[in-house]
This record gives sequence, C-alpha cells and structure tokens, in this order.
Amino acid sequence: MKIPTVLLSVVISGFLISPAVADCGKVTIADMNWNSASLIANVDRFILQHGYGCDAELVPGDTMPTGTSMVEKGEPDIAPELWSNSLKAAIDKGVAEKRLRVAGKSLTDGGEEGFWVPQYMVDKDPSLATIAGIKAKAKLFKHPEDDNKSGFYTCPAGWNCQISAGNLFKALKLKDDGFELVDPGSGAGLAGAIAKAFTREEAWFGYYWAPTAVLGKHKMVKVDFGSGADREEYMTCTTSAECENPKVTMYPPSLVETVTTESFARRATEAFGYLQKRGFKNAQMNELLAWVEENQADGNIAMEYFLKNHEATWQPWVSTEVAARVKKALAGL
Amino acid sequence: MAEPAIRPLVQVRGLSKVFGDNPLVAMERIGQGHSKDQILEQTGQTVGLNTIDLDIQAGEIFVIMGLSGSGKSTLIRHFNRLIEPTQGQITVDGTDVMTLSEKQLEQFRRHKMSMVFQHFGLLPHRTVIENVGYGLMVQGIEKSERRKKAGAWLDAVGLDGYEERYPAQLSGGQQQRVGLARALCTDADILLMDEAFSALDPLIRSEMQDQLIALQDRLHKTIIFITHDLDEALRLGDHIAILKDGLISQVGRPVDILLRPADAYVEAFVRDVNRARVLTADVVMQPPSCRLTNENLEEALRQMRGEEKDYGYLFKEDNFRGIVSRRAIEAEISKSGLKVDLIQLLEKPMSVHPGASLEKILPTTLGHPYPIPVVTDDGDFQGVVSQKDVISALTETRG
Amino acid sequence: MAAARPDTPYEMEMVMAVENWLTTFPEMERADLIAIRKALDAGYRAFSRSYGDLIESLFDPLLYFLVWFEKLLLSTPWWLVILIVVGLVYGASRSPKLLVGVAVSLLLIGYFGMWENTMRTLSIITVCTILSITLGIPIGIMMARSDRTQAVVTPVLDIMQTMPAFVYLIPVVMLLGIGKVPGVIAVVIYAIPPVIRLTNLGIRLVDKEVLEASMAFGATRRQRLWGVQMPLAMPTIMAGINQTIMMALAMVVIASMIGVKGLGQPVLKSITNQYFTMGLFNGLAIVTLAIIFDRVSQAYARRTQRHLQGNAHG
Repeated sequence: MKIPTVLLSVVISGFLISPAVADCGKVTIADMNWNSASLIANVDRFILQHGYGCDAELVPGDTMPTGTSMVEKGEPDIAPELWSNSLKAAIDKGVAEKRLRVAGKSLTDGGEEGFWVPQYMVDKDPSLATIAGIKAKAKLFKHPEDDNKSGFYTCPAGWNCQISAGNLFKALKLKDDGFELVDPGSGAGLAGAIAKAFTREEAWFGYYWAPTAVLGKHKMVKVDFGSGADREEYMTCTTSAECENPKVTMYPPSLVETVTTESFARRATEAFGYLQKRGFKNAQMNELLAWVEENQADGNIAMEYFLKNHEATWQPWVSTEVAARVKKALAGL
Repeated sequence: MAEPAIRPLVQVRGLSKVFGDNPLVAMERIGQGHSKDQILEQTGQTVGLNTIDLDIQAGEIFVIMGLSGSGKSTLIRHFNRLIEPTQGQITVDGTDVMTLSEKQLEQFRRHKMSMVFQHFGLLPHRTVIENVGYGLMVQGIEKSERRKKAGAWLDAVGLDGYEERYPAQLSGGQQQRVGLARALCTDADILLMDEAFSALDPLIRSEMQDQLIALQDRLHKTIIFITHDLDEALRLGDHIAILKDGLISQVGRPVDILLRPADAYVEAFVRDVNRARVLTADVVMQPPSCRLTNENLEEALRQMRGEEKDYGYLFKEDNFRGIVSRRAIEAEISKSGLKVDLIQLLEKPMSVHPGASLEKILPTTLGHPYPIPVVTDDGDFQGVVSQKDVISALTETRG
Repeated sequence: MAAARPDTPYEMEMVMAVENWLTTFPEMERADLIAIRKALDAGYRAFSRSYGDLIESLFDPLLYFLVWFEKLLLSTPWWLVILIVVGLVYGASRSPKLLVGVAVSLLLIGYFGMWENTMRTLSIITVCTILSITLGIPIGIMMARSDRTQAVVTPVLDIMQTMPAFVYLIPVVMLLGIGKVPGVIAVVIYAIPPVIRLTNLGIRLVDKEVLEASMAFGATRRQRLWGVQMPLAMPTIMAGINQTIMMALAMVVIASMIGVKGLGQPVLKSITNQYFTMGLFNGLAIVTLAIIFDRVSQAYARRTQRHLQGNAHG
C-alpha cells in the first residue's frame, strides 16, 4: 500500500505547487568563488528549489564576468552577492534598459573594504590602528623582497580594487615613508600572504575586505585614515584610473546587492519576493564564516548548517508554507 | 708444436655464471648435473657459464668459439671482471682476479689486459687520436706523451693521417683498427677481442685477420679471441675452445678440432668448413719415405730399390739437398763411361711452406709425381706432402 | 504540464531519499573527513610556524640573487641588453639568420611597451633554468646509477608534473610568503622533471659497449661519468633542458598569481578583465622568449654534437 500513497502524494504535491513551478522554471544562480557568496548562493538554491519549486542550478561566477554576462547574455539569472560598486555603470545601464533588476541588499550593512593590520600588532601598539601610527612605524612592515623598504600588500592586479587601493596609497603618501606596493598576484596570493603572516605573527599591512573567511579567521583591525568616508570623492576619483589627484578617504561601505535578470524577476515574482527580503547582517555573516572556516565546509554544507541552526534568521524571508516545505526538505538531508 | 710445459698465463677454474635473482639454487642444480634448459625451466634462472676450466698460454691466440647464446661474450667479460662470476676462479699471471678490490681491478685493467669490442666501443665525441690514447688518459699520462704513443700505434695499424677525425667519419674497418690501436696502446700483455671482426664485411674481416696475424708475429701478445665464425677461429687460433650452452665442448689445436671433433656438436660444426683453406701443409705432411744420406749412386739405388721408392730425398749433414729419381740413377748407372755425381742428378727442389693451405699446395702436388718437400723460410726440412696425403685429408671424416 | 511532470526535482529527491550504497558511493563520514583535513592543516601550520623562518632564511641568498639579477637586467640600457643577448645567440648558434630574428623580436617587444616585464620574466626564467639544471642533472645522474632511486624518484616526478600548480602554491606561500622565491620554487617544481628524466634516460641509453670499453681500460666511476656517460648523454640532456625552459615559461602566468612580476602579470590581468589585446601581446612576448630560448639551445646542441652524426665521411 505504501507505493500508491507515495505516488499519490507525489502527484498531489506536484499539482499543489505547480503554479510556482510554471513561473519559476530553470534558474541559474552564480556561485562566486568566495565563501559568503557561495553560502548565499547555496541557501538561495535550496530555498528556490524546495520552497518555490524552481529548477535551480549553481553556476560558477565572479564579479566581473557574471555582471557582464547578466547584462549582455541574460544569464545567470541571479547574482546573490554582487559587489556592485565595481560594476556600477554596467548595472545602472542594465536596470535602465530593463535587463536587470536589483532585488535588494544581500549584505545589509554593505561590504567593508579598507587597509588592515593584524589585531596582535594593534594589541602591542595601539597606534598602529591609525594611518599616522603606521607611517611612523613603517620599518616594521618589511618588503618581502627588499629589507630596506616597507611593503603594502595591495589588491591583486586586474581587480577593480587595485585602482582604489593604488589611489589611496598615493593619497596617503605612503611612498614617502618607504612603502612600496606589493602585488600579491591573485586573491589566493593575498590570502596566503595574510595566512603566512598570522601563522608566524609577523607584521602585515594591506588591503582586504569583509566579510570574508580570511577576516573571520584572522582577526584584523581596519586602519583609520582619520578622514571619514567621502562617498563623492570615492566615486569620482578614488575608484577611477584617471584620478590625477586622489584625496584621502575611508572606503564607504560597498553596496552588496542581489541582482537578477529582468526576465527572472518577471516570471518568478514569488521567488523574487524572497530575494528582496533575503539579507545578512555582517555580524551574522562573520559568525557563519567563522563556522565555515572552523569546519572547512563548502557552500552546500554551510547552507545546511545555516538553514538548520538559524531558522529565526531565514523564516521571516519566506511565507509559512514555503518555510514548511523547506523544513521538510531539510529533514531529508 | 709441442705443448709447453710452463704454467699457463691465464687459468680458469670452475667458472660459473647464473643470471637471475636466485643464482644459488641454479648452482646447486649445476652441481647435480642438470642442463641449462632444465635449470631455466625448474628455477627460472639462466645459466650463462657452467663450470668452465681453461688454460691459456702466454703468447698464443686462444680462440673461444660458440654460437649466439653459448656464453662466449659472458665468458670473455669475466677475464677483466666486466661481469662478476657466480662461482669460480680466474688466475692471471698468478693473480686471482676475483679477489681484486675495485682500485686493484682498475689498475689490473689499465696495465694487464685491454679489450677490443665487436661494435668498436669508440668514444664518438673524441677524435681518433684521443680514442687511441684513451687508456693512457685514464692512467693519467700527460697529453704530449699520450699523443706520441697513440700516433705510433695509429701508424702501426695503418691509419696515419686520420688523427683528428671523429670515429663516425671512418668506415667500420678503420674504426676497428682504431679499436685495435687503442687496445695495443696500453702495452697490456693480454688482449681480449670480443667478436672483434664480426661486424665487418668479409673482405675487410680477412684483411683485419691478416693484420692481426702480422702484428702478433711482432708483438707476441696473449690474445683471447671470441668469435662465432669457425673459419676465423681455425685461421687465427693456436688453440680453440668450443662453447655450447655455457659448457666447453672441446679444447684443442685447430687440426684437432677439425679432424678429431670431440662430439656430435663439434662435428656438425666442422662439417661445412672448407678444409682446403684451413688445413695446412704441416698438418698433412709425412716424414720423407726415402732419406738418402750417401752420395754413392749404387748405394742410393740399392736403398731406393729396397724401399721400393721411385724418388729419394738427399740430405747432407741434416740439410736437405734435393730429390733424385730412381730412373735417373738407373740411366746414369747403365751409361758407360764416367759416372756423374749424385748431386748432379738432383732435380730442382720444388718445396712448399709448412703454413701453406692445402688449397694452395694442391696444384703443386698434382703437378709433380713425387711428394713435395715442406720447407720453412729458413730452409728447415719438415716433411713431405703427397697428392694422396692432401686428398685423404680433404675427404676423411674422422681422424 | 506540471501535472504531467510530477517528478519535479524536489519530489524526486524525496523518492530517492532511501539510502542505498548501490546507487550512492559509500562515502566517509563528513566529520572524519573534516578531522583529517583539520589535522593535516594544523600540522602544516605548526610546521610552518616552527621552521618557516629557518627555511625562509635558507632561501635568502637565492632571493638576493634574484633581486640583483632583475635589477641588473632592468638597469642595463636596452640596447646593451639586446647586444648581449644577440651576442650570446650568435655565440651559441653561429647563425646570422637567428641573430637577426632575435634582435627584431626584442626590438618589437620593447616598441610595444613590454620591455620591463620581459626583462623581469627573462631574469626569473634564467634563474629557474640554472636552478633546474644544477638540481636536476645530479638527481638524474643518481637515478641513472640506481634502479632503486629511479623507482622512488619517478612517481615523485609524475606527481610534480601532473599535480595542478595551485595545489602546491598555497603551502609554498604559507611557508615563504609571496614573491620571487616562492614563484621560483613553484616554477622549478613544475619545470624540473624533464631535465631529470632526460638526464636519467640519456645516461641509461649510452651505448653499453662504449661504457664497457671505458671500464675495460680501467676508468674510475668518475672518469666514466664525466668522460663517457655525460658527453654521450648530452644531446638527450639538452633536449631535457630545452623542455624545462619551455615549461618554466609556461608557468610564468601561474607564478604571477603569487606576486611574481613579469609578463605573466598583464596576462593574468587580461584574464580577469577580458582585455583581449593586452593578453595577446604579452602572451606573444612570452612565446617570443620561448622561441629564442628554444632555437638558441637547439642550435647550440646541434653545433656541439655535430661530430656524433658522422656526416662528412671519408
């Protein structure tokens, strides 16, 4: 008797959710290659699939290629954690041309960028939390290839942050204190440099951003430039390669948004509604990233951990029925 | 050709070599008299050499002959220990080669033995003169002396003018001359020649054999020569050892091998040999049947009638003087008047060299009614060769 | 349509939820896997903490040399560098055609604004090649001398050649930070196998009779190695060196991911940003360097090994 019951339930539940299925269909979600984005992408996949009946699939992505592809090709459907500052013009244009839709902020506090030093250095010398202290103790931060110089680990070549970090380096006149830009070559190179410094408690000074696994694991202090954030200057000059005379400004919080294609927003209104509500506080994300780091979990496992242990966080994002379906699917994991 | 009584220069005793990971098992079976094939089947070990005993005299060319797989190349590499034996002993001039340390062995190889290889084994990146002087270079002898000595040996093998060529620019025969000069250049007493002429064209090979014989007449080295070619073995060897499946089938002089094969294997081997080319006058010659010492005509005639011979061989104080026919004496005696001296009746002596092949002396023996004297270059009378001797040597199957 | 397809993915999952080792691979418990990963990571971190400084200081001379050599190339006037390179090319190959080709290529590289990066890459490749040769040839010799060494080293070489570079970049960076030294190490790990393999092969392929001849004349092991085996293996070893250089150049882009400056950096940059032309130009500059190295080393090998061929007979 069991088999017919199962079949029946399959048919009935299939019938019940059919409107959502018809709307949503196949959905591709960009899985960026850093942990927070991967976590969010996996959460989205699970909720869209089990809560809204979408045929959701993760595709690898990265800020620039994904953003460009969404504008030009209309895929993937969802970029769950897009650092849109770097793509501002393209996204604005996409929205204006009705190709893209911004669902909301995936990190409600926005992303943090800045120049950082390890916590253990600041514990020993609190002045290192300010740029003046860093400049005064420049000798501490040895250049990896030249003992007579100091090294500032900048954003990897070819990344958008390379321009802003370079401009701020210039504005802060770090060169006058013996600093030189050290190009780590890649995100892995930059993270590796930080990890190496932390294992041996060496001095380190460079660009990084939060929330990230690296900053979750390695406690760092954002260096205060004493200038506050000047969003206007930042937008017009700091982030521009043509900026001739950059001024000192802290990084304004980056807009970290959930962006979807217009076609997805139109065909899956309910699912889009979920994406509009779905957003993480940096504090939550830090906690999650700490857990991910601790357990070396991939996005899928992190998603399971999050959905099982932080119900209070995600339940408000969805309707009761959807929550029930998601929970049922969770129980089957 | 009496066997010298002095101690042999090189002595091999009970030498065995087994290839494989467990030679001792194979050695046990060898002891029990199992054959090479049996041992391979039972133990997976390959017997290379099976209890070899050899004596090699100073100054001789000792040929080790066998087909491929017989173990001859393995054997020659034991003399200078390019291959380590599983069991057995090799003594060279009183030195047990097997007990030498690495350093001693290097010295032994530098001064006692040198080697010529089938495919020449020349250093392709060095010039001809450097190759010839290689042994001296290894010894640490300085360049000018090396060049002087190497140049002289290059002359000796007929390659002067080729000093600055590279081996690849020479023909095979020329390369092997370089190999020979290199081996001679160290003044080692013993020369190992591993199929030294086998890679050469037949014509060049025979030239090289001639050159080796000529050099050996001058140098009197002890040469251990490996070959698979019986003709070559018979031509060069003072003694020949025949090797089959790692076992010695027969050791002996060429004529022994040829005329008295020890077993069916050797017999099958020698069956196709061109005896006319290999056998020499000294092998088939006989003592003269009618030796005249008296110059008196009547006396000589009486002796010849007594021995029923048509021809007599006149000796005076052990020196061979010539041949005289019975008919000539009878005619002289029946003539009236003054009798001439026996000496004046002598026919012009027609002689052959003891080393001449039957092929060469056959026309002479056929062309004369009497057995032809065999006389050395120094005029020493050795014996006589008759048509009958030659023909029977060429046709007989067993000695 | 939906009613006709009750097997939506999530329903399927419910039906398939039955555990079945026949259809799903019996995996290790995730917790155990994590424990293993954590233990290995912690172990490596502890190793890095205890010996990192020591190991880093061992590489200091290499770092000084790298920095010095790069500065030398960068501070030498461009025309002098071209003259020297062209001189070396001619010395090695004796070919005027090759000389002109190299000079024109270098002039074009400079004209397209890639001179500095080319010099940086040239410097690091030169050092990597020298390092690979000085380490690789002795290892190859040891392999050729002992079958046991060969049996141990061969799988290590297989791993070095097939393991994705990113896998060992991370531990190298953890130990030595970013920059030239870890870059050189990564490049050498990737590029050294051919010179080791071909040294081993070259020595093992040396005509057995020639080697026997040298033994028969009482040559010592050293005399055999340097007088016979190495010279005769040289064409093969040269082919190995040639391959090593090519592989080192191929690693330039990967090495730039851990902060090695040079032609790899703009290539990496153009990958991130889809700068097609920038990538193409710098890629072509790498190819040009490769061709110069290749042609020159081959011409050198041919010229020095000519007598081995035995062309001019008689």
